[in-house]
Amino acid sequence: MFNIISNIKEENIMKKILGAVLATTIVASTVLSGCSAATKTEGENSTQQAEEKAVTESAQVSEGGYEECTIRFDWWGGDSRHEATQKAVEAFMAKYPGITVDVNFGSWKDWESARALEYQSGTGSDLTQINYSWITDYNVDGKTFADLKQFSDIIDFSQYDENELAICEDVNGALAGVPIALTGRIFYWNKTTFDKAGIDTPKSLADLKAAGKVFAEKLGEDYYPLAVGEYDRAILMSFYLQAKYGKAVIDEELNFNYTEEELKDGLDFINSLEEEHVIPSIKTIDGDGAASFDVNQKFLDGKYAGILEWDSAAKKFITALGDAGELVVGEEFTDMGESTGVSTKVSMLYAITNTSEYKREAAMLLNFLINEPEGIELIGTQRGIPQSKIAYETLEKANAIDPVIAEAHTKVMDAAEFFFSPKFDDASLKGDGGAYKDVFGGISYGEYTTDEGAKILFDAYTNATK
Amino acid sequence: MEGLKKPQSFKIRKFCKDNIGLVFILPWIIGFLVFKLYPFASSLYYSFTDYNLFKGMKEYTLQNYIDVFTIRAEKKALIVTFKYAFMTVPLKLVVALFIAYILNFKIKGVNLFRTAYYIPSILGGSVAISILWKALFKDGGLIQNAFAIFGLSAPNFLSDPNWALFIICLLRVWQFGSAMIIFLAALKGVPEELYEAAAIDGAGKWKQFFCVTVPIITPVIFYNLITQLVAAFQEFNGPYIITAGGPRSATTLMSLLIYNNAFKTYEMGKASAQAWVLFIILLIFTIIAFKSQKHWVYYSDEDGR
Repeated sequence: MFNIISNIKEENIMKKILGAVLATTIVASTVLSGCSAATKTEGENSTQQAEEKAVTESAQVSEGGYEECTIRFDWWGGDSRHEATQKAVEAFMAKYPGITVDVNFGSWKDWESARALEYQSGTGSDLTQINYSWITDYNVDGKTFADLKQFSDIIDFSQYDENELAICEDVNGALAGVPIALTGRIFYWNKTTFDKAGIDTPKSLADLKAAGKVFAEKLGEDYYPLAVGEYDRAILMSFYLQAKYGKAVIDEELNFNYTEEELKDGLDFINSLEEEHVIPSIKTIDGDGAASFDVNQKFLDGKYAGILEWDSAAKKFITALGDAGELVVGEEFTDMGESTGVSTKVSMLYAITNTSEYKREAAMLLNFLINEPEGIELIGTQRGIPQSKIAYETLEKANAIDPVIAEAHTKVMDAAEFFFSPKFDDASLKGDGGAYKDVFGGISYGEYTTDEGAKILFDAYTNATK
Repeated sequence: MEGLKKPQSFKIRKFCKDNIGLVFILPWIIGFLVFKLYPFASSLYYSFTDYNLFKGMKEYTLQNYIDVFTIRAEKKALIVTFKYAFMTVPLKLVVALFIAYILNFKIKGVNLFRTAYYIPSILGGSVAISILWKALFKDGGLIQNAFAIFGLSAPNFLSDPNWALFIICLLRVWQFGSAMIIFLAALKGVPEELYEAAAIDGAGKWKQFFCVTVPIITPVIFYNLITQLVAAFQEFNGPYIITAGGPRSATTLMSLLIYNNAFKTYEMGKASAQAWVLFIILLIFTIIAFKSQKHWVYYSDEDGR
């Protein structure tokens, strides 16, 4: 009798254990499979898996000799760039049926940090638009971006000069990206506001300084000829220093070339612009509550009558200003020193991530955007004047080179004398907690003297170029 | 032979029977180990290194912890976090209790008022509300225009370091609804006889509030204090969206500094150390609060009280 009871109890316990184990297994497998689908842990493992998949999986191959697949493409920019690029992607998909392109785009704010984490986690897009500095920042060991030379049968590299491609190589000599355009900063003026003030748009530093006083007297204290944030001030200061001292802030060999005294001179220059009502204080700009000048109400109202921006960004500001003002391209100043002090850089590049499972198809999209007429015409000058020879010729023939961008680009390239190092944009300098924000904001808010700011900036540049 | 086997199988059966609960909570254990313990342990390990997400790790160091108390930016973030917490929490609790006390009266439309006061706490954490807050308080925004209507000059709320932190606090205090509902429930639990007895002894409304109501609801005050303190030290949305940590780092709380170090400059070692310092500070405050409760929190089920 007791044995029977004992056996029944034993059976009940075993049933409970079995039920518990089954329930646990179901729940754990549901939870863990949901997690593992969302993340890839090691980029290298993913690369290996992608390669193995390409070899072992029998993928559907279209008549054109490419795999039918879905690839991802991301870029940052303004609304006009998004519109143009999406049209180009649609044209690509129509030309190459079987390849579906999922797009991801947005504004610049927080774009870089989001993409950087994707590259690190191996979940980056197949084709990605990158900044020049990302080759050194996020491709430290050369494993993030694929060597595009392996796709020389797809991408027509003959449209570029050798040296243009050479500066886009990573530490291992692999071609990390294809340069889309070269760019530099130039002034843009709201001519409508300058006409209201009764003066011409500035052609020199002297004109700009004189405009400050006129704006304050004729238009009011909240009108300024030029508005520059912390990073813009760093660039303007670099133009001043390079013009005056004749040496790049950071050269091609990544040497930082300035002393504390010279930096102080540059900071004094920027400070003088604020004191002479040429530029608003950082406090004033912070109070505007706008992420960038193209969405700053004071710029849209014409109260900030000038900006210092990339030559490729003109369209964004012209579109934002609309009929409220006429934005014209300014001149590079020649009276800051022996030269203009202007530096240029590769504005942005297209790269293919190493974790892409469809690199060849991504290369096809890349070539379509930069070298094929349909793509070129749809993209236009949304990323600046294209560096690809055939792209430039195609746009020129079609009269599709935006005259404002062309004017800005020509002026920048004619005036350019210095190399814009990717280290100038190092996260420790340009980032939210970086030295530019700290120093230029600190001086503007009166927290630092220019001596103190010069010391902080000197240390920051030295550390960034170590 | 069977008699020798039985004790062993009996032990196994007894073990399974006694520990069957562990099997049922195994999913939680796995989740805790994978999503809590492992990240905790990893961040503790990385906090003693100079690990950069893209540049790797070069050395072990205590410098990250030293920097939290010596580097200007990090010291400032710690001070700002304390300022924020000690401004927001008392203000929020006082406002929540005051409104709950009023809404405890039988007044017409009281349910409507309760709903209206609760809504901000549902919306408040959202990005949209933060953007709205920014639009309200920016230069030339609605609040400045309202001041101008009355001929007053409003401060630059978002660009003045002295005001910016207060505006972030105000957003959190505005979301007092959840604390208010908890206080309301506690107020309803105060026995009416105590108020009657106090009234008979000649106590007025204020006396009754401070001498009857507050002591009775001290457990709920304690609960709200702990939860609001923890939430305040972990505040992120407001400073990130409204002021981006500015102006001049006046609203860079520790959580935002950790985010910037981890995801803007990829200094994971530094960010891990800062996170651990914040955790330890919060732990100390929580321990102090728990130790102090025997002096000021009244539990009606305690003997001799």
